[in-house]
Amino acid sequence: MPFADDLLEVAHDLAHKEAAKQAGLRRAVSTAYYALFHLLIEEAVSKWAIERQRSILARTFEHGKMKGICDGVLKDVKSGAPLPPELNTVADAFIQLQQHRQTADYDNSKQWSTGDVVNVLDLATRAFAAWRAISAQDAAQDYLLQLFLPKMPRQ
Amino acid sequence: MGPTAALAATALSILRYAQGNTMVPSGKIKQPEINAAITEVVRLMTPDVVHIRFNIDRDWSGDWAIFFRVLLSDEAGKRGLPEVANQVRWQLSERLDFDSMGLFAYYNFRTVSEQEALREESWA
Repeated sequence: MPFADDLLEVAHDLAHKEAAKQAGLRRAVSTAYYALFHLLIEEAVSKWAIERQRSILARTFEHGKMKGICDGVLKDVKSGAPLPPELNTVADAFIQLQQHRQTADYDNSKQWSTGDVVNVLDLATRAFAAWRAISAQDAAQDYLLQLFLPKMPRQ
Repeated sequence: MGPTAALAATALSILRYAQGNTMVPSGKIKQPEINAAITEVVRLMTPDVVHIRFNIDRDWSGDWAIFFRVLLSDEAGKRGLPEVANQVRWQLSERLDFDSMGLFAYYNFRTVSEQEALREESWA
């Protein structure tokens, strides 16, 4: 099973096994974000022909930049760009999960409920399904390239 | 925190936003519009949605954001929280143009019985 899928499974396990404990709920939220993060990175670096260099490339992805690219997707969809709705689902989930992860990892004042975590896991699960439905399409491949490139060249 | 205190907290967060923000004109934030949208969504989705609170603050990356806290009935939670949650998100985004306000929108959900157990003021 790919690493990203493992992470998503772990997130679900944590949420269900540790439902009453804040630590377990927080780890579930954080892991759900990293599941999607690594899904996209794995997909992007898998295009690189030299396998031993993929892990190096994977470490160059930046959370902030990825958020910006996802925001761009949401804006493009809103303005009527012909992008698959599944890409919108992935981009939206990525931004939501990223913020949830930050809160789960660093904001001890926030108390997580099972409902909150169920919603977070649902976002991640839907994003996985959406990605797999469109991953071969040009729009999805262009999205991966944007996540990876320091700057997109002018068209 | 009662409704008056919640309103005061919201007003305070808006004020903090307006004072601290130099990139996005505070005029872009339309509090009456936000409150009206919330009222309408709660009315449409009652009894599943009990109430919606929000505050405006910077997100993890420094961007301005609106953070919604949606309290759902226990029945809605049992029927399928993600479905109700998606409807709330959709209904709010249909009524509020977060882009034009310069805001990212983030959502948190919990049920009445969860809130009774956690007793967080910001959700009351």
